[in-house]
Amino acid sequence: MAVLSGKASTGRFGEVVQPHLSDALALARWLTGNAADAEDVVQEACLKAHAGIATYAGGNARAWLLTIVRNVSYTWLARNRPRNLVSVGDLADLDELAAVPELGEAGGPEAALIAKADAAALEAAIAALPHAYREVLVLRDINDLSYREISIMLSVPLGTVMSRLSRARGLLISKLGGQQ
Amino acid sequence: MSEHEGLPTDPADNHLLIHALVDGELDAATSLTLERRIADDRTLAAEHERLAALRAALGRLPKPDVSEALRVRVAALGAHDETTARPIVHRFGSFDWRAMAASILVTAVLASGATHWAMRGSTPDNFAAAIASSHRRSLLAASPVDIISSDRHTVKPWLDARVGLSPPAPDLAKDGFSLLGGRVEVIGDRPVPALVYRHREHLITLVAAPQESDTAQSPAATNLSAGGFSLVHWTDGAFSYWAISDTERAALDDFVSRFRAVVAAG
Repeated sequence: MAVLSGKASTGRFGEVVQPHLSDALALARWLTGNAADAEDVVQEACLKAHAGIATYAGGNARAWLLTIVRNVSYTWLARNRPRNLVSVGDLADLDELAAVPELGEAGGPEAALIAKADAAALEAAIAALPHAYREVLVLRDINDLSYREISIMLSVPLGTVMSRLSRARGLLISKLGGQQ
Repeated sequence: MSEHEGLPTDPADNHLLIHALVDGELDAATSLTLERRIADDRTLAAEHERLAALRAALGRLPKPDVSEALRVRVAALGAHDETTARPIVHRFGSFDWRAMAASILVTAVLASGATHWAMRGSTPDNFAAAIASSHRRSLLAASPVDIISSDRHTVKPWLDARVGLSPPAPDLAKDGFSLLGGRVEVIGDRPVPALVYRHREHLITLVAAPQESDTAQSPAATNLSAGGFSLVHWTDGAFSYWAISDTERAALDDFVSRFRAVVAAG
């Protein structure tokens, strides 16, 4: 389709990218570890998104932009913080662990305790998560992507998305529930 | 039935299903069975409550603010389309700074103008282009629907749970248009429900956006067809509808009139 050119694609870029900048910053912040780096990453991602706007074929614009943000975040991490990157072997180990996320019978923390956790405690708990868990948790609970969108973005099976998410939430719950 | 109406018996899988329930990823039938099971099991109920509390706490986390500087830089990117696809970086250094400052100002103004133009609700052409491209994309995807069901009692609550809207979803199978399922489209910045019908070998996507007070009324079906697709737009009291398909125009008109007749009859 040679319909969108000139002014139309300018409008389209604004329409596709601008509404999701806050989500893009949130993801970049949790992947790179701090807010200042996040802004650089998002700007670079927007450049890439702009160059590739022709490849955006409709569908969820947020998921499309966040996929680019994620890729740029990893390139950025590899360049600037190589030690923070996790190797593939680590991920496989994590996924095996994830098979048994039991929280004990009645001994689990109270929901009320979790509900009143303050933002700082919650953010610290998210920051302490292993990278692969944090990524899935942020994509689902902060960026609000569906399981299927996450599974496509990470190129992992749906079951892996679910087990990482459940493991991530289990860790947050035990951390927040353990504080008095 | 040993499988408890289709739910897994393995506790670990049950645990994952509770997450899926909290995330709104289950269809209505499975949700119902699982909710019953949770009601009967105190361990599962406690787990469900903790997850809901965690989701609520995460939802309250403040979203990062987009600085004005970033917003302007990103808007400036969009305004560079008219020239070439060359990245802006190459422009630095080769230009007089005055010319560059002027060009940044001009592009920022152009971009905000263009964004404003694109954001105005009264541009049905843009909306139509977005619907056409999402329909085209759905034809290429592995599945054109996210919830597969010919039962409107499954499709409607699924859409309701995701976008808080459930447009009428009559099954017109006896008229030759069978309901395949639904999905959520993001058009502009708004999630809107979409229904998918099959007519012989063709798919029809029906997007239903809630009527806003400033939306132009179009009670008569308007033909917006372009680019090889037939696209028909009309409004009723509650929703604005767009029906798009690669089937011939007459069949789409037939679909629209039958759909409207069934909806009007309640």
